[in-house]
Amino acid sequence: MRYFLLSFKAIFMKDIVTEFRSRQVLPTMIVLGMLIIWVFRIASEVASAEVSAIGPIALWVAFLFAGLLAQERSFATEEHQDCIHGLMLAPIDEGTIYLAKLLVNIIMLSIFEMIIVPAAIVAFELTLSRSILTLVGVLMLGNVGLSSVGTLFSAIVQLTRTKGSLLSVMVLAILMPMMIPATFALLAVFGDIPAELIGTGALSVVGSFKSAIMFMVVFDAVFVVACWLLFGFAIKE
Amino acid sequence: MSKEKLTSDREQFVVDVKGVSKAFTARRVLDRIDIEVGRGECVFICGINGAGKSTLLYTIAGLLGADSGSVKLCGYSVAHDPEKAKAHLGVISHKSMVYPDLTVIENLSFFTTLYGVKNAKARIDELLSDVKLTRYKYDKAGILSRGLLQRLAIARALVHKPSVLLADEPFTGLDKKSCDDLRNTLSDFVEQGGTVMMTTHDTRMGLACASRVIILDGSKLILDRPTEEIDADSFDADYISYGRGVV
Amino acid sequence: MRTILFFLAIGLVVASMCIGLTAGSVQGPKAHPDSPVRNIVYAHVPSSICALLCFCVLLVAAIGYLKTSKESWDRLAIAAAEVGTVFAIVMNATGCIFSHAEWNTWWTPSPRLISAAMLLFLYIVYLILRSSLSGAKQRIARNSSVFAIIAFLNVPMVIISARFMPDIHKASFEFGSNWQRVAFFLGMISTCFLAGLLMWFRTDILSTRARLEREFVN
Repeated sequence: MRYFLLSFKAIFMKDIVTEFRSRQVLPTMIVLGMLIIWVFRIASEVASAEVSAIGPIALWVAFLFAGLLAQERSFATEEHQDCIHGLMLAPIDEGTIYLAKLLVNIIMLSIFEMIIVPAAIVAFELTLSRSILTLVGVLMLGNVGLSSVGTLFSAIVQLTRTKGSLLSVMVLAILMPMMIPATFALLAVFGDIPAELIGTGALSVVGSFKSAIMFMVVFDAVFVVACWLLFGFAIKE
Repeated sequence: MSKEKLTSDREQFVVDVKGVSKAFTARRVLDRIDIEVGRGECVFICGINGAGKSTLLYTIAGLLGADSGSVKLCGYSVAHDPEKAKAHLGVISHKSMVYPDLTVIENLSFFTTLYGVKNAKARIDELLSDVKLTRYKYDKAGILSRGLLQRLAIARALVHKPSVLLADEPFTGLDKKSCDDLRNTLSDFVEQGGTVMMTTHDTRMGLACASRVIILDGSKLILDRPTEEIDADSFDADYISYGRGVV
Repeated sequence: MRTILFFLAIGLVVASMCIGLTAGSVQGPKAHPDSPVRNIVYAHVPSSICALLCFCVLLVAAIGYLKTSKESWDRLAIAAAEVGTVFAIVMNATGCIFSHAEWNTWWTPSPRLISAAMLLFLYIVYLILRSSLSGAKQRIARNSSVFAIIAFLNVPMVIISARFMPDIHKASFEFGSNWQRVAFFLGMISTCFLAGLLMWFRTDILSTRARLEREFVN
């Protein structure tokens, strides 16, 4: 266990240091996020919907795409000098590599959100209808879910010619169901769900804020455990 | 298997490859290969491109799973007891397996943690002076030249004092001086009781380092001789027909 | 023996489809004089079920491959994914036609329609992944199995939403007559047979190809 923690920390610190030194991804993520927020803000002028309802949706789109940038980098850096072989040759469990990388991706997304969420709140004139802790909780649940599959698939797409674009398709296809409760929860955090959205539409799957959180917790748990278990198969030569 | 038997095996052969076969799709790359390598041997594996040299090394390292047969390192099965087997193994290839954004010392300390090396600081200093990198301690690995990077790769592979060192084309892209340095490092390692298995296209260099030569041809092992019994000139000219002629 | 079995299976599928569709179309318009388009259920429901079943086969094949690394499991996975894609396309297409006639919209974001679309997307992404992975065959098979298993984790969600959620899409279908019942179940059985048959052909072709490759290379 102590050994697990040590190697976990080593891989985690290595990735964080590498990222902050090379500053490859975080700036790109932030610019991409800003652009997405901006585009949605302009589009919301045209749409008849309430501006405050578009905000949370724009946020999830920004998280998804910015998260993909972070996830793709996860294993792209390892591929460069065959470093992934270096990791696999070390006497550690493959799951450790996955968990460390997952934490790195979650942290990257969290840093990104610290900048993007206030920007969106300003741009869309959002007001919190629940406590700020609830907001953080919803965002963290989202981060875990977004990063879980992306981190696993990042290792898989390194073998393909199309890499990043394929990763985005894979992650979006898998995360589609999870995005429904996630959107619902964020809408609920920034004001009440418009009544016409509840009923027979997509959001009726969720029902209430509480069940939205439940859905997200279940998704997170299932995806993280499954990805952790399957990770060994994905990186083996 | 009793405990005594296990220890005696471990002392006898450091690398024990038994009946290993490997196929990619339909093409057979390794066909029932048997190799036993003892402590302090340096084995030179040669063969033309596609003969299966790298595949053999990767299979021994456990990066590739064998279709049949077994590989044991210091008595531990690579397939069933990978963590123990890996602890006795170091690998160098023509790619350095170090992170360009970390400094030399950070790279090494990262790997000491992964291997659970005790007294890491002293070990790193020792390694750095062994491969003459002390001067470049705080340089990022990304700015090192090819020769220096390869020295760092060796230090990385030896960080946990392995008993077996696998080297896949370690001389690629090195100049004469760096080649000699690498050769000295390898022979130092062997003198201290380490076992080396390496592949290279530079047959003269290979013969000079090795105590034993193995030729792979058409997925089969066709020759396995000590270096003294090899006629260096004719071997250098055409080792495949040399190997076929001897057998 | 193989040939006999082969033609028997084809005959069975064709016959039951003919009977089923005739029964449906003879009785259907009378049962629903206002909307003949409702007869589409005889194709829509069986193909949805087959699309789901193919995903289950894909899951079993993926797990089987990861456990045993036998290539035959991988061939079954390819067959299941390809056949499943076909049925998922039929399911979505017939669904759209029905939706347009009944609800006056081609697509609406109701839980069941979302999950149907999701199923199709997952199949397509699986096939894209397969075709763009390069390298050793074992590795392609292993990685696509990993994706298939993760993708399958979404399927319980599809079923839950199809069963329990309030939806514009009906969960069950009332039969107007016994003829309709017969037609419906014949359609169901024959479509499942068809799916099995297609999967069988595909695995057969793939294993023949693998054998030829093996003989050709060595």
